[in-house]
Amino acid sequence: MYTYKTGIALIDDVTGGLGPGMNILILAPPLSGADTLGACIARPGTGEYSIIISTEERSIDMANRFSAENLNRNHIGIIDAITKMSSPEASDSVHVKFVASPSDLTGIGIKFSQIVESIFNGEFEVSADVDLFPPPIRFYINSLSTLLMYRKLEVLYQFLHVLGAKLKKMEGFGVYILNNESFDEKTVAVMKQLMNVVIEVKVESDGHYLRIRGLSGVSGDWYKFRIENGEVVIGK
Amino acid sequence: MIQTGITGIDEMLGSGIPRGTRVLFSMEPGVDGRLFMISTLNNALSRNHRCLVIIPTSTARVFRSEILTLKKVDIDDYKDKLVVLDSSVRDSLHKKCPVPAERVNEWKSLIRETCEKNLIDIIFVYFDLIYEDLGLEEGFRMLDITIGDRKPTVVLEHLNLEGDDLLTRFSADLAFDLIISLKSSFTPAPYFNFFTLEYTSWSNMPRRSIPYIIINNTISLYIPKIIVTGPPASGKTTFVNQASDRGISGDRKDLKGAATTVAMDLGWLHFKGFDITIYGTPGQPRFDPILPQLASHAMGVVMVIDVTRPEQMARVRTLMELAKVNLIPMVIAANKCDLPHDFSENEIRDSLHLKADVPIHFISALRRSDVRLVVESLVHCITTYPF
Ligand SMILES: Nc1nc2c(ncn2[C@@H]2O[C@H](COP(=O)(O)OP(=O)(O)OP(=O)(O)O)[C@@H](O)[C@H]2O)c(=O)[nH]1
Ligand SMILES: [Mg+2]
Repeated sequence: MYTYKTGIALIDDVTGGLGPGMNILILAPPLSGADTLGACIARPGTGEYSIIISTEERSIDMANRFSAENLNRNHIGIIDAITKMSSPEASDSVHVKFVASPSDLTGIGIKFSQIVESIFNGEFEVSADVDLFPPPIRFYINSLSTLLMYRKLEVLYQFLHVLGAKLKKMEGFGVYILNNESFDEKTVAVMKQLMNVVIEVKVESDGHYLRIRGLSGVSGDWYKFRIENGEVVIGK
Repeated sequence: MIQTGITGIDEMLGSGIPRGTRVLFSMEPGVDGRLFMISTLNNALSRNHRCLVIIPTSTARVFRSEILTLKKVDIDDYKDKLVVLDSSVRDSLHKKCPVPAERVNEWKSLIRETCEKNLIDIIFVYFDLIYEDLGLEEGFRMLDITIGDRKPTVVLEHLNLEGDDLLTRFSADLAFDLIISLKSSFTPAPYFNFFTLEYTSWSNMPRRSIPYIIINNTISLYIPKIIVTGPPASGKTTFVNQASDRGISGDRKDLKGAATTVAMDLGWLHFKGFDITIYGTPGQPRFDPILPQLASHAMGVVMVIDVTRPEQMARVRTLMELAKVNLIPMVIAANKCDLPHDFSENEIRDSLHLKADVPIHFISALRRSDVRLVVESLVHCITTYPF
């Protein structure tokens, strides 16, 4: 069985990585750098691919940031849900697809399938040394918070449920970000139902902390962490 | 009458979609079925119908660019025939009427006014967000309008997150006349979509599903497997070669130096909007054990018989059993009719115990047009067969 490394030693050292079909929720307050943490977990490892739904950052900015962070852009497909609202003519490429707005769940679903299909058909760059089948795919939604501003909770839940089932069939791995301060407890609880692991983030005066929930054998304590050169460093 | 503009589907629907009916394209998440609605819209515009599009998930500019990329059609060229109510309309109605019950009435009068002013024949609705905002009955109520003594045709695209139960509500509670659902195979690779003609109120067309693929933004119905079988040397390989745009032959020379098929013949053809893969079986009885395997998942069978050799009919009956033709449509290619023969249609029908609806075509597989006629006949059987 393929396992996905999270890049968080607390998890990887105990579990050896997470199995296919798992979903991780990052629950974090605004401006806590959750998307940097999310990007660390969701970026493609060697021979892997990532599909990112971006509702907050335009794909062009995201792609620029990726090159700065030495991420393998050729292994990343982006579904951009915001650019079209200002540039209606933006047109799809193999790696970047656009949908009308974050409310366009039909479009998001279709573009997701199109990217998966391209990856399976070898239209993305294939690493010469590691050619895995099925190709390991990390799926990253940044963020559920935006989607929830556009769509009702029940609708989004059902949509993610179907998409999650597809992800599981193709042995993928999901990472989702949710801003826990903008939504009520019920919303957070419903979203948690779709997840296997929850990583909570908080910001204290001396830095950022994370806490891992849902993995047996992995400590549920708060740990201080920082991101250095795209790596998650756990401190005391 | 309007049509979907999708070859194969329009034929199945008979002469098209009658005026004043209600049509639903129901899509499962992740299934690329947008072209069904877009193609129907294009078809309506090209026939000079006056159309209203309601698309709450998108701005009119994005919608225009979408149609331009997918279909190379600029909806700005149809300004006098097409009105778009987009996300900005929904936003302003939300501001104006925060209470859903009032909003329905607001929507309804806006839609009625627009239809009256522009003499709209057909309303195309992206229903997803309207359903979320107002629910099924209320959401549909705003579309159910009568102008003068006629109702505009209503065509809905909906992202169905609830499965078949919701389809039943569309047909039973809202009296939809045509329901087509678009789903995908469960495996991610190979990835294929299929459409199901769930229901039509104006014909007794049986419910059926056919896979489709999208080539250059056009829907092609996809028949993954037709098998061509028949007794030795009846002309199967010749048939497959003539039918195919390209193919692979499984022939080897036998001891006397004549070619016979030892594996299978494989061909691909694109024909009248269908993409078809065609498998020719070997004719020699020693290959019989592989026949059921070859025939499994086939969508139709061409039985090639040699009209100069009536004595082979016992063999044909065995092959019919092996290929399980009682479960799938079959057509008979009565081949080599360019040669002198004395075998009539009735004799063939009697000796093979064929039902009256199994077509028999007298052909010569040496003529491409004859072979294409048989393929066309089988495709017709597949799309109208009560599986
Ligand atoms: N005159 C005439 N000859 C034909 C016709 N169709 C096929 N033949 C000839 O019949 C012979 C056998 O044709 P094939 O297509 O190889 O037959 P087959 O059914 O594939 O044979 P096996 O694979 O050995 O069972 C060849 O010599 C063909 O040229 C036809 O319509 N008219
Ligand atoms: Mg042959």
